[in-house]
Amino acid sequence: MFEVRNISFSYSQRKILRDVSFVVSPGEAIGIVGENGAGKTTLLKVLATLACPESGSVIMDAQDALSRPLKYRRQLGYLSETPALYDDMTVKAYLEYRAALKGEPDKRIRRRVQEATEMCSIVEYAKTPIRKLSFGLKKRVALADAVLLRPRVLLLDDFLAGLDFGMREAASNIISTVAAFASVIVTGHEIADMAKWTTRFLVLSGGVISSVIPAAGADKEQVVSRVENAIKGAKS
Amino acid sequence: MSATTITMKRTVGMVRSLYSTVLSFSVFLSAAALLFSFALDAGEGGETSLAAIWTSAVSPLLPILAAFIGMDVWSEERRTGRIEALLSAPVREREYTLGKFLGVWATVLAAIILFLVSSVAALAILAPSALTGSTLVKFIPGLFALALQSALWCAVALAASAAFKHSAAAALTAIAATVAVPRGIWFALMAWSGQDKFSYGEMPLDAHAFDMANGLFSTGVILSYAILAVFALFLASKFTAALRLGGRGAKSLRWSTATAIAIAAALALSLVSLAGRLDFSFVLPFGGKDGQTFTQRTQSILAETRGEIDITAFLSRKDVRFRPLSHFLRALAKESEMLGGARIAVSYVDPHWDVGAAERLVRAGASEDTLVFERGRRRAIVNLSDGFDERACSSAILRVALPPQRRAVCWTHGHGEISFEAYGAWGMSDIARDIARDGYRNERIDLASQEPVPDDCALIIVAGPKNDFSRAEAGKLDAYLRKGGRLLLLLHSLDAPGIASIMSGWGIRASQTAFPGERTLSGSDVIVSDFSSHPVSAPLENSQVVLEKPFVFSPSAAVGQGGGADRIDFAPLASVAGSCVAAVTERGVRAGDDLAIRPTRIIAVGDAAFAMNGRLAENANANKDFFLNCVAFLAGTDAMGAASAGKNKLVSGMDRHARLEFVVATSIAIPGVFFLVALSCVAFKRRRA
Repeated sequence: MFEVRNISFSYSQRKILRDVSFVVSPGEAIGIVGENGAGKTTLLKVLATLACPESGSVIMDAQDALSRPLKYRRQLGYLSETPALYDDMTVKAYLEYRAALKGEPDKRIRRRVQEATEMCSIVEYAKTPIRKLSFGLKKRVALADAVLLRPRVLLLDDFLAGLDFGMREAASNIISTVAAFASVIVTGHEIADMAKWTTRFLVLSGGVISSVIPAAGADKEQVVSRVENAIKGAKS
Repeated sequence: MSATTITMKRTVGMVRSLYSTVLSFSVFLSAAALLFSFALDAGEGGETSLAAIWTSAVSPLLPILAAFIGMDVWSEERRTGRIEALLSAPVREREYTLGKFLGVWATVLAAIILFLVSSVAALAILAPSALTGSTLVKFIPGLFALALQSALWCAVALAASAAFKHSAAAALTAIAATVAVPRGIWFALMAWSGQDKFSYGEMPLDAHAFDMANGLFSTGVILSYAILAVFALFLASKFTAALRLGGRGAKSLRWSTATAIAIAAALALSLVSLAGRLDFSFVLPFGGKDGQTFTQRTQSILAETRGEIDITAFLSRKDVRFRPLSHFLRALAKESEMLGGARIAVSYVDPHWDVGAAERLVRAGASEDTLVFERGRRRAIVNLSDGFDERACSSAILRVALPPQRRAVCWTHGHGEISFEAYGAWGMSDIARDIARDGYRNERIDLASQEPVPDDCALIIVAGPKNDFSRAEAGKLDAYLRKGGRLLLLLHSLDAPGIASIMSGWGIRASQTAFPGERTLSGSDVIVSDFSSHPVSAPLENSQVVLEKPFVFSPSAAVGQGGGADRIDFAPLASVAGSCVAAVTERGVRAGDDLAIRPTRIIAVGDAAFAMNGRLAENANANKDFFLNCVAFLAGTDAMGAASAGKNKLVSGMDRHARLEFVVATSIAIPGVFFLVALSCVAFKRRRA
C-alpha cells in the first residue's frame, strides 16, 4: 500500500499543494489530471524526493518513506516530463549504466535490461545510440529505465505528452504490464488514453484534489466526460 | 561496482566526448609547452633541476584546465534535466560527488602525463643533453605535487559546477576561486603590507610545486591541500543535495545546510592551521635535485648553531635567481629545524617594491643582489654575484654564529708566491674571498722581517714559492710550527732546499714523477679521484680534483720518530696511480697526553696552481672544496665540504635555432596534431552515433 498523507508544498508565499492525500494499492494505476499549474509535476517531484514538502508524509509499508529516502528510492521508478538521457550512449549501455548505478548486482544487470527493453518494446534499438532515437522512443527508453528494477511505485510525469497515436497505444500496453507489479501514478492531459488503463482519476486543482473519479470497469467515454467536467468545474 | 566507480567511469566517458575537452587539452599542452620553453631558457646553466622547471611550467595552468574540464560535470546534468534521473536513484550525493571528482581528476592527470611524455620526447630528440642524469623517476615528486594541487582544483571546479546551471559561470567561478582570488590576495599583500614587515617570497602555490618537485616535502602543505580538497568536495556534495531543497518546507534544511557548510569551513581552516603548526619536512631521495640538498659541512654548521638567524634576500623578484634562491633558503630553514639548530627566519626585500626595507639594508652596508645574515647585532653580507653557493651560505651562518673574532690566514710573500690579492687568472683572489667568507681575514706575512707571526694566525699558506726561503725565514716558520702552528704548502718547485728541509723535518719528502696514461683534461694535468678517508678528503669521494704535473710525497725519516706528543704521523690525502699527490702530517696529541698541546699540522699539495682563479673557473671540479677543506682542517674548524659545484647544472645544449624548433615542436606541432587527432576521434564517434 502506498499512501500519500496531507502533502503541502509552497514556494515562498505561493501554495502549490494543500493537504493532498490519496492511497494507491499494489497493481493499481491512477491518473492525476488537472490544468497547467495545478501542481501535478510538483506532487510527483515531492513523491520522488526531488522536492521537500512543507508538511505531510508518504507511507509505505507502514513507515514514513520520506524519512528514509535511500531505502524508499530503491523501490521507486521515476520518469520526468522530458526524458533526459546520455545521448552518446547506446540504449543498452545506458540501461546497464542505470541498473548498475541503482545498485543492481552485475550478474543480474543483463537480465534486467533484457526484461525492460522487452517490456518497453525497444529490443531492436538496444544497440542504437540514444541521439538517433525519436522523442517517443527516448520516452520509452526513459520508461525502461524507470521500470528497470521492477519498482513498487512508478511515477510517470506527463508520460503521454508529445507521443503520436501509435506510441500512445504502445505506452498504454506498457503501463498495463507494469501495473501488474507496481503502484503506478501518472500525470497528464491525455484523459482518453489514460482512461484505458487507469483505475481512478484524481483531479488536481489549485493544489487540492477536487474530485476522485473511478475508472475501472466504467464506460470510458463517460469517465472521460466526467473527468473533463470535473476539471472545468474546478476551474470555474 | 559501487555507484562512485560507475559515476567516475561515466564522467570520464562524458568528458572525453566533449569538444571543449579536446580544445582544453590542446590549449593546455600548448601553453604549458610555451611556459616550459621559457623556463628552460631562463634556467640554462643554472642549478634548477629539469623536473622542477617542468613542474613549475605546468602548475599555474592546472586550475584553469581543471575549471574547463570540470565545468560541465554537474552543470550539464542540471541544464539537460538528467539531474532528476540521478537524484531519484538510490545513490547518495557524496557518492556522485566523489565519482565525478575522480573522473575529472583522472582526466586532468591524463593531460599532465600527456604533456610529460610529449615534452620529454621533444627534449630527447632536440636537446638530449638536458636529459642527462634525469630519469623519469626524478619527475615523480613533481607529478605528485601536480596531482595534489590538481585534486584541489578539480574539487573546487566540481563545487562550482554543482552551484551553477551554466557551464561558463561554473568555469569562471572556479577560475576566480583558484587563480584570481589567491593571486589577488597575494598581490594585495605585496602592495599594501608595511614596507618594513614585507617578507614574502614566492606565491605559495608556485613555491609548493617547485619545492616538491625538488623532493622537499612538507606534511603541513600536503595535509592542507588534502583538507581543502575534502572541504571543496563536501561543498559540492551539499550544493547537489541543496537541489532537493526547493520550496518553503525546506527552509530549515537550507539553514542547516548553510550552517553545516560554515562549520565545515571553520573546521577546514582550523585543520589547515593545525597542519601548519604540526608541520615537518622531509626530502625524498629521488627528488629532482638528487635528493641530497645539503652537504655534511652545512649540516654540521646548522646543527651546532643555536638561537635565531635572520636571512634577508635583497634582490628583485623578477631576477632569474630568485626562485632557486628562495627554494634554497626555505630548504635551509627546514633543514636547520630538522637538525635542531638555529631558527632561521627568511625574508625577502625587493629593491623596487620595498623601498623602506631596501634603504635600511643599504644603510647597513648591503647592496642589491646580496644575502644578509643577521644574528643579534652581528651581520654577514654575501654577494650573490660572486658565485653564490651553499658553502658561501653556510660560511656566512658560521660567521654570524661564531664568537666575534676574526683570525688571520697568513700568506707568505717575497719568494714568487701566487698572490691572494691578484684578481687575474694567475691570482688566488677567489679562494681568498671564500676564506674571508669563512670568517678569516687574509693577511700577508713577511717571514724575513723582525715582526713575529701574529698570535691569532690560524694558519700560514705558502702558495707555490719559486724562490727558496732563507735560513732565517725557514727558522721562523719552523719555530711557528713547533708551537702548534699550521701550514698549507702548495709546492711549485723542488729547487728550494730551505723549503725541502722544513718539509722533511715535519715528515714529508717530495719527489717528481710522471703519470703516463692517467686521465687528463689538457694533456699536462691529471685527474685525481682517489681520496683517502682522512677528514679533509673523505667528503670529496666521487669528486675530481685536477692537478697540474703534481709532485708526489712520501714519509720522510722524521715520521714515527719520538713518542707521545712529539711523534709525527703521515697520511696521504689524494693519490694518482698509487702515488700520493697531497699529504698531511701531524705532530699531535695522543690518548693520555696533555690536551693543552695544540697539534702541529702541515698539508702539502703537489701543485700550486690548482686553486688559482683561472683553474677554478675552467673546470667544474672539487679543487675549491679541497683547498677550503685543507684550510678548515688546519684552522681547526673541521667543517668539511663536499664538492658540488657544477654537478646539478642544467645544460640543454640547444642553440637559438634548436630552441626555436623546440618551441615550435612542443607548443604548436604536438598540440596541433593532438587537436586534429582527438577532434577527428570525437567527431567520428559522434557521427557514428
